Amino acid sequence: MTESARVVRAPVAGRAVGLAAVPDQVFAQAMVGPGTAIDPARGPGEAVAPVDGRLVKLHPHAFVVVDPAGRGVLVHLGVDTVELRGEGFELLAAEGDEVTAGRPLVRWDPAAVESGGRSPICPVVALDAEPDRLAHLVESGQVVTGDELFTWM
Amino acid sequence: MAVRRITVAAEVGLHARPAALFVRAAGKAPGEVTVAKGVGEPVNAKSILAVLSLDVRNGDEITVRVEGDQAGQVLDELVRLAETRESAGG
Repeated sequence: MTESARVVRAPVAGRAVGLAAVPDQVFAQAMVGPGTAIDPARGPGEAVAPVDGRLVKLHPHAFVVVDPAGRGVLVHLGVDTVELRGEGFELLAAEGDEVTAGRPLVRWDPAAVESGGRSPICPVVALDAEPDRLAHLVESGQVVTGDELFTWM
Repeated sequence: MAVRRITVAAEVGLHARPAALFVRAAGKAPGEVTVAKGVGEPVNAKSILAVLSLDVRNGDEITVRVEGDQAGQVLDELVRLAETRESAGG
């Protein structure tokens, strides 16, 4: 691990399932970027920042945090959830905020997303990263918010 | 060099899914590819972070510029993606 390696942490609690399990081919084939995915615990919860950095994009259903080295991590809260137009999502931060890993950013309910016919699985993606820059990828097992998901070298 | 100004028809704009397809198509060009929103600064269209940060929405006007060989071909593909309405998701 180099000095600049960055640990990316779980933005939600649940079960790590890997990107390939995301029911959206663009995510599953890592076209957005490499990373992993979490099938979130059902019921109301908070999605938190996966790294320290600047919250450059905050949508109700997705956000991007860029660390001081310029590495952007995308967290997408469920699949096709852009169609919900924010309904059922409460923003807990503002775009442009400097955040620390673990800071709550969005309140949502994966069970409500699921009952609306959409997958609540959350891809956590290293943007513009070559796949071989990620190490210690967690793609199975239970995770709690803040657990290490992968190291971005 | 090839450049074109278009209105984005993708339902959700250039967000996760359409953005990934757009960036992948831009990556095929050997030269520089940029995209600008409105009168804003152009950003690297080969960077998914840059394109997501640009936050291009349905109905936004963007300017796409492709440098180098096969510029016209790559530009046609990028325009086709941005003008495709059925890019649901994101």
